[in-house]
Amino acid sequence: MKRFDCMKALAARLKDELVILSLGGSVDEWYNAAPHMREASLFQQQLGCVTPQAFGLAAGLPHRRIVSLDTDGGLLFNLGILATLGNEQPKNLLVVVWDNEQYLSIGGPPTHTAFGRVDLAAIARGAGVEDAYLVRTLDEFDAHCKAGLAAQKPYIVVAKVSGTVQPDIRRKHSDGREDKYIFVRHVEATEGITIMGPSEHN
Amino acid sequence: MKKSAVDAVIRGLKRAGVSIVCYLPDSLFKELYPALDADPDIRTIRVTNEGEGAAICGGVFLSGKRAALVMENSGLRASVEPLARMGLGAGIPVVMLMSYRGELGENNWWAIPHGITMEPVLDALRIPYRVVREEEKIERAIADAYSWSYASYYHSAVALGGEVVR
Repeated sequence: MKRFDCMKALAARLKDELVILSLGGSVDEWYNAAPHMREASLFQQQLGCVTPQAFGLAAGLPHRRIVSLDTDGGLLFNLGILATLGNEQPKNLLVVVWDNEQYLSIGGPPTHTAFGRVDLAAIARGAGVEDAYLVRTLDEFDAHCKAGLAAQKPYIVVAKVSGTVQPDIRRKHSDGREDKYIFVRHVEATEGITIMGPSEHN
Repeated sequence: MKKSAVDAVIRGLKRAGVSIVCYLPDSLFKELYPALDADPDIRTIRVTNEGEGAAICGGVFLSGKRAALVMENSGLRASVEPLARMGLGAGIPVVMLMSYRGELGENNWWAIPHGITMEPVLDALRIPYRVVREEEKIERAIADAYSWSYASYYHSAVALGGEVVR
């Protein structure tokens, strides 16, 4: 199963949601798989921060559906967030974990999920997130995304994907600071709120 | 902490517009956490480590709500990685309220590292901070930290020490 194909399937289901996603090849893949979601996606470069940030966003905007696109390496960096989600039970958070069993962005050394013992979905269920599933086919993935986007409790889909990056796709040019401004302005416009307002004097 | 100091912290958070507090409990702020939990205007989120709390606070910032990370100052060390990435990499601010473990007067050997490392770590991350040891200065310090962080879009911190926490 290719991550890019999964992304296209998920992107087709998204409209008003907000997305926080992880580092590495998935950044450029999501940029191309979901062009209509570019302003609604925060592209981060932070191992272990993606799902916690998405949960913080979900806590602040409980009426809005939030999607976290995390990775095996990123989630393994901070498994504690699963216990926090288990206790907090956010009603508006779908977490997708791209589990390619490797640190792809630095050339592919294995993560702990590569050896057949570590099951991130099982860890999530043990942490109190009942709806946590490991999927290996595109149909399974799409069905769980559909269910997860309608769920009223936290929903985690661990997608076993190949360790390849879609070739010949357009690179995203912006850095984390520009990405933040784009995302914040999108949240402001769609929520009718001010997050980064004017100073007292200009 | 005396109840009057706890009340001053909560007044400061409310004056700054805070509605979500992430915390990992510690002993010096022992009386503060249940007061935060009981406050109807504040949602508390208990976290497994302070770095996770920092990242959640960053997400809350993106929602337009205001968050605080409340912890012992040892939690600053656990938060360095997400703070550096969010603050220096993306300009996503986190305001921290921490107890000053390990300052002069500390009588626990295990807390000495917290006192020795807190201010140099804040300086290394270029995070401005105010150490408050007088109760009447708590509310203003918290409000000032939010004013600064929402002008700079960078982290700031208030450390409560001295007789405020002992």
